[in-house]
Amino acid sequence: MTEVGIQRLGLRFLRARWRVLVRLACWSVLETGQTFLTGYAPARALDEGFLAGRPATGLCWLGIAGLGVVVGAYGTARVYAAVAALVEPLRDRLVARVVARGVREGDGGALSGLTQQVEIARDTFAGLVMMSRSFLFTSVGALVGLLSLDPLLLLVVAPPLIAGLGLFAASLRLLARRQEAFLRADEALAADLGTVCPGLRDITATGAEQQIAAATGARIDAELRAARSLARWGVLRVAALAIGGQLPIVLLLATAPWLLAHGVTTGALVGALAYVTQSLLPALRNLVHGLGTGGSRLAVVLRRLLRDGSGQQDHGTDERDRPPSPAPAPALSLSRVTFAYGPHSAPVIEDLDLSLQTGAHLAVVGPSGIGKSTLTALVAGLLEPRHGTIRVYGRPANGPDRAGLRVLIPQEAYVVTGTLAENLGLLRPDPVPEAELLAAAEAVGLTPLLEALGGPSARVDPTALSAGERQLVALTRAFLSSAPLALLDEATCHLDATAEARAERAFAARPGGTLVVVAHRISSARRADRVLVLDCRHTAYGTHEELLDRSAPYRDLVGDWTPVPGGRSEPALALRDTDGLDAVAGPGLTGDGRHVVAHGPAGQVQAPGDLRDRGALGGEG
Amino acid sequence: MTTRAEKALAASAARHSGTRCVALCLVSTAATGAGLLLPAVLGRALDLLLAEAPATRWVLYCAGLVLLLAVLDACQTVLTGTVDARTAAWLRGRLTEHVLEVGPRAAARFGPGDLVARLVGNAAQAGTAPAARAALVAALAGPLGGVVALALIDLWLALVFLAGAPVLTLLLRTLARDTSTCVARYQEVQGHIAAALAEAVGGHRTIAAARAADRETARILGPLPELSRAGHRMWQVQGRAAGQAVAVAPLLQFAVVAVAGVLLARHRLSVGEVLAAWRYAVLAVGVGVLVGQLAGLAQARAAADRLGEVLAEPAPAYGPRELPPGPGRLELRGITARRGGRTVLDGVDLVVPGGTTLAVVGRSGAGKSLLAAVAGRLADPDDGEVLLDGVPLRELTHDALRRAVGHAFERPALIGATIEAAIGLGPAAPCPARIRQAARTARADDFVRLLPDGYATAVADAPRSGGESQRLGLARAFAHGGRLLILDDALSSLDTVTEAHITGALLGGGPGTTRLLMAHRAMTAARADAVAWLDEGRIRAVGTHEELWRDAGYRAVFGEPGAKETP
Repeated sequence: MTEVGIQRLGLRFLRARWRVLVRLACWSVLETGQTFLTGYAPARALDEGFLAGRPATGLCWLGIAGLGVVVGAYGTARVYAAVAALVEPLRDRLVARVVARGVREGDGGALSGLTQQVEIARDTFAGLVMMSRSFLFTSVGALVGLLSLDPLLLLVVAPPLIAGLGLFAASLRLLARRQEAFLRADEALAADLGTVCPGLRDITATGAEQQIAAATGARIDAELRAARSLARWGVLRVAALAIGGQLPIVLLLATAPWLLAHGVTTGALVGALAYVTQSLLPALRNLVHGLGTGGSRLAVVLRRLLRDGSGQQDHGTDERDRPPSPAPAPALSLSRVTFAYGPHSAPVIEDLDLSLQTGAHLAVVGPSGIGKSTLTALVAGLLEPRHGTIRVYGRPANGPDRAGLRVLIPQEAYVVTGTLAENLGLLRPDPVPEAELLAAAEAVGLTPLLEALGGPSARVDPTALSAGERQLVALTRAFLSSAPLALLDEATCHLDATAEARAERAFAARPGGTLVVVAHRISSARRADRVLVLDCRHTAYGTHEELLDRSAPYRDLVGDWTPVPGGRSEPALALRDTDGLDAVAGPGLTGDGRHVVAHGPAGQVQAPGDLRDRGALGGEG
Repeated sequence: MTTRAEKALAASAARHSGTRCVALCLVSTAATGAGLLLPAVLGRALDLLLAEAPATRWVLYCAGLVLLLAVLDACQTVLTGTVDARTAAWLRGRLTEHVLEVGPRAAARFGPGDLVARLVGNAAQAGTAPAARAALVAALAGPLGGVVALALIDLWLALVFLAGAPVLTLLLRTLARDTSTCVARYQEVQGHIAAALAEAVGGHRTIAAARAADRETARILGPLPELSRAGHRMWQVQGRAAGQAVAVAPLLQFAVVAVAGVLLARHRLSVGEVLAAWRYAVLAVGVGVLVGQLAGLAQARAAADRLGEVLAEPAPAYGPRELPPGPGRLELRGITARRGGRTVLDGVDLVVPGGTTLAVVGRSGAGKSLLAAVAGRLADPDDGEVLLDGVPLRELTHDALRRAVGHAFERPALIGATIEAAIGLGPAAPCPARIRQAARTARADDFVRLLPDGYATAVADAPRSGGESQRLGLARAFAHGGRLLILDDALSSLDTVTEAHITGALLGGGPGTTRLLMAHRAMTAARADAVAWLDEGRIRAVGTHEELWRDAGYRAVFGEPGAKETP
């Protein structure tokens, strides 16, 4: 988002809240009054009271000034409430944006956006509002005060003040640029350390300590250079402050004989000096120091938070319950589908043709990285093929209303903090009847967990479930969805063979249900009535027996585990291609892979980015 | 010990910018002095002007002081900024080097996220300490000088001020206390939203495929109104506290002015002196600023403390010896290692003859990873010795050790700008041909070439599954070379076919390399020359896989991993 874009958004945001701005102005006027009295009351106190031999009058005027202080302080307290009415809606919007983006893009960075950047934006925005408002109303109070004491005083004070403000305004862009350069260097350093610290083990193992120290050292130096440049340019602020805030003091003294000769009273002169030193100078100082730093910080943070606009909202939810077309189209058809990650990279899937009738049960097998998950992502409409068409029940796979037609259960099970019923009904527009829920749990094999937790209304803590239990929850939820085509992408990899078989059979037995399984064990392929073998761009398609005859890669996959001593008939993990997780890696390892897992006593720790679901690119290829 | 480290750190940090700190101390003190002088001169000039006496000299003094103040202010701005930046950079450089020297132990002790926070945030905070300390004299002199000046003008003025001051301090203190409860509530609600978002980020594929992003977003944002309410309450409380605080200082000033006015009416003070008294009262109220500065200094010290903790973590020492020519015979003698009060390895003796492969198997938590780390000196044992071709590892130089030993991990951290750099990580980057050869051996070449820019693809942009990361980590170990290769579960996320290819290439990789494999799968163990069965930190048996397979306990090590998850 550009600078101009942010400014425009900001203006729109403020314009929509003009009422709050008016309220803010009203309460701020009390502070203006206080500022006005700061110079005016002592001036009258001197002229009419202390210098005229009437100390009681003088004290009276000072009492009024004191009263002004109390009223002004009340105003200050109320100003905070008005500022809250500006800041909190902004915070709400930013939180909503960050959450929406995090959910849409599966971006783990959204978390730091939520807890840190949004808070920085909130505090900085509040600071900016307070400061600029305070400067505005204080200077108005002081200038009106000067005018009331004697217009000539305004003539002396206003020009340098305007000159100082002008200098500051002119330097603002320059300073903001330095500030931004500094923030960028700081972030680059933090990002660099963010990869170095989780990789200490690997750095030590490769002996690359000095190399890395040099690279990080260069980032540190860059940050230092930016900080020093920022400090040097800070002199501009001092200059603006000296001209706008301190020069008027000297000018008032220098012109004093002339002013006094033109009817300015002693009290008025003292009052003018008080306005300059007590009100204008501090307000200007706050503005000069705050606006340069706070403004650019807010701009940087907002740009980060608002990147790529409000953009593509999906509209699938409201159409999800539309029944699938009863047309005789195949459940799934791919024709000449080609997909590659980059415009110059070799395709992962090339010219793939496939057609599945309703009720079919397909297993997809192949070595890791060959494109099995890519295939499910394409069918689920998460990726766009470079060429070719994918149709689900006769409709393009990536259409907005396809959610009701297919359901994808990925390896990393999605379980939310809430009740079990909420978790299971997540893909349904309305609450699921309990009988249906219990039947689904029984079919998929969730019943033991459901009973252990205490029924559908029991609360679920995702971190307290094992990876296998989480997968059972996700499978049952998908089973309950109305989508006839189910895509199981290693969705059972944390289950044992028996539990996996039960879940797969449940899906295959769904009336009108079509099933595509990215196989995790060879038994999955045996259960399927068709098998698709993906291997180095040679695909093979057929039944288990046909492929044993025909496909050497398939024989490899099936045969590779048989010579294991002891003649184990059902190997676990024979076709595994986990997303960075190992089911036996240790207790406490949850299935989502975003946790920092101290693995083993040496405390090797996993970089969060290394494990996380790779977004739309679909993890394992 | 930490305090000493922190003090030493603070001292050397201050020494790093010594001259600047002295200059800053002088400049800030001079600025305070000029600031204290100005009201008196201003008052004097005003009195002369009002008396229509020649006042040019005093007005010029005034102008001079104002100019001096501006120049000193500029110097102070530049100096403070520079000293802060230099100190932070110095601390970061020093700590980064130390953390790299300490290696995996540092990450284990503090956690990587915390280390980053210390190196970025705490170093910046601690970096402000020298400048803040240098300016402390001046910060103290301001308010103190103000009170003294009030007393010099008239004792009554100082007395009025001092009588009102306790009220000031009392009210300033309420500010901090009131806000804490609503801040806690705010953070709690924020935590709920963050937790739900974290779950959704993990389940992003499920949500995207179901096109349920909007609905999930709405569900996660459910507590938002509550957050907003807590936020409003925070501002309210803060406003009330601020309202009290902002009232006190001006009231105190007006009290001083009132007394000065009465004294003026009694001709004990001049108008100029009233003006000066007013200014001095303002300066004396600056004690609030001092409180803030002291709090900042305390924060900086706490940050320096946290940096001191990191520095106190000892770095492993390397020896002076080079490695003699040899086949890569690895010997572990009586290795005992404790972690967190638990004995993880308990008197492990193992010999791996040069050029052979030993697989180590055992249940999770048996100590395999620590054994792998100790064997390649990524960790030091508490007792015992590891020898490579007869030389204890801890007597080797850093370069000799790291050249000789290569590691691959279950979850490698890939460090480098590009895939190529990540594979070639090391003191001397291998040539591109060797990197590609290593990638081919690790079966990584195929998928790297599918990436948008092939080997030049940025590591951060490369979509990788666990299996792909493992293969890149293996490629790194292969490119690294060396006479001992340690694979710590580095094949666990690979499918069996790929694993078979890699182990084939690895074991047939010719003489000159000794291999130590930490394995979960029976298949991997079967391919090794010998298997060491690790159980509860001890070697239970060593033999070939076929020999050991007869033992039911050994077979149980390879039991169904998912079995425990569904009863």
